[in-house]
Amino acid sequence: MGGEPNRGPMMTRIFWRLVDILSRMLDADERQAVRGDLAESGDCAGMALRDVLGLIARRQIGIWKQWQPWLALLGVVCLAGVPLSRILFRFNVDLSQQWMAYQQYGVHFGTLLTPQRDMAFLLCLAVALLVWLWTCGFVLGSLSGRAIWFTGSAFYLMVLDSTWVRFALSGNIILRNAGLLRLFVAATVPLNIATLLFLLSGLCGASLGMHRRVLPLRAVYVLASVITILTILTTWMSGWYETAHETWSAGAWRGASLLMRLLPFVLVSWPVAYLLATAKRWTTTDKETAT
Amino acid sequence: MLGEFEYLILSAAARLHDDAYGAAIRHEIEEATRRHCSIGALYTTLDRLETKGLIKTWMGDPTPQRGGRPKRMVRVTATGIRAASDFYLVVRRVSRGVSWEANRIAVR
Repeated sequence: MGGEPNRGPMMTRIFWRLVDILSRMLDADERQAVRGDLAESGDCAGMALRDVLGLIARRQIGIWKQWQPWLALLGVVCLAGVPLSRILFRFNVDLSQQWMAYQQYGVHFGTLLTPQRDMAFLLCLAVALLVWLWTCGFVLGSLSGRAIWFTGSAFYLMVLDSTWVRFALSGNIILRNAGLLRLFVAATVPLNIATLLFLLSGLCGASLGMHRRVLPLRAVYVLASVITILTILTTWMSGWYETAHETWSAGAWRGASLLMRLLPFVLVSWPVAYLLATAKRWTTTDKETAT
Repeated sequence: MLGEFEYLILSAAARLHDDAYGAAIRHEIEEATRRHCSIGALYTTLDRLETKGLIKTWMGDPTPQRGGRPKRMVRVTATGIRAASDFYLVVRRVSRGVSWEANRIAVR
């Protein structure tokens, strides 16, 4: 921190560095005022760190007294995050099966569909995932504000891990000799490029959402139209697998109904409805101000 | 009705007048109470007082002794002066006939 007197030994320098880093969680004006106050009062590094931590804690508690971070947590992280995790998981499994079959044997992995149909579905799902994650990220950033470090981490972990957790709890996968460190790495690091790309899309959305908060109405109309088309397409295309399996099993296997196939896609699409509502309100207020 | 800490801030800001800002108010409170005043408590209470319309704050000019960083300046509003004055009258009224000094000696 510039302006402080002699900071002394290593620990003191580390404490001041921590004060520098942590104070970035405060609003720009407040950060400047607080750091100036600390420089002027000549408090020791430990006391300054305690004071900054106290202020950050109070500010975070204040943020959670509003409804927006709660909507981000319950609506985006829980309601959209769980189905997104399942869709992303399915995409990764389907893609890796096709990729491995093609790499090792030069053939299409048999899914009872033609290679063209498999490719079309995967492509459609990839585009849809990019748009869904961007939209969820934007709404998360817009609603969370300075609570984004918490809601963002929760969303990341939910999308990355909730399907694995469900499989582990239901006994579909059994974790044998799983060390804590290995589990931690697997739970926090995206282990394939596809997941990383999709999460980057969410990160871009969150970053923009934090700065812009709302989108222009025209942009939201375009986004809503794209999401509606992609939702209809993915629902329709996922029906190909159900029909093929029903035909293959001579009716012994009953696939998911249209409604059950549509539901997860609708749940991950709801943030665009929030964007529509806020964009409309923004435009109306603007018009009222103009008149 | 004001809280105790709110009253301390209003009194310190009123006494400092044009020189009322975060660090100066904090120093005044620490001098008066002989206790540490945390920045967290100070800044969140300043926000609350501003929301209630009892003070007005704005960012002042940067100064070299603050590492070139601006101050958060504070001015007590007319409503703030009334609220602090009411609080002080209540304290005086409720303390009538009570001698805390005598009680303290008696306890010793």
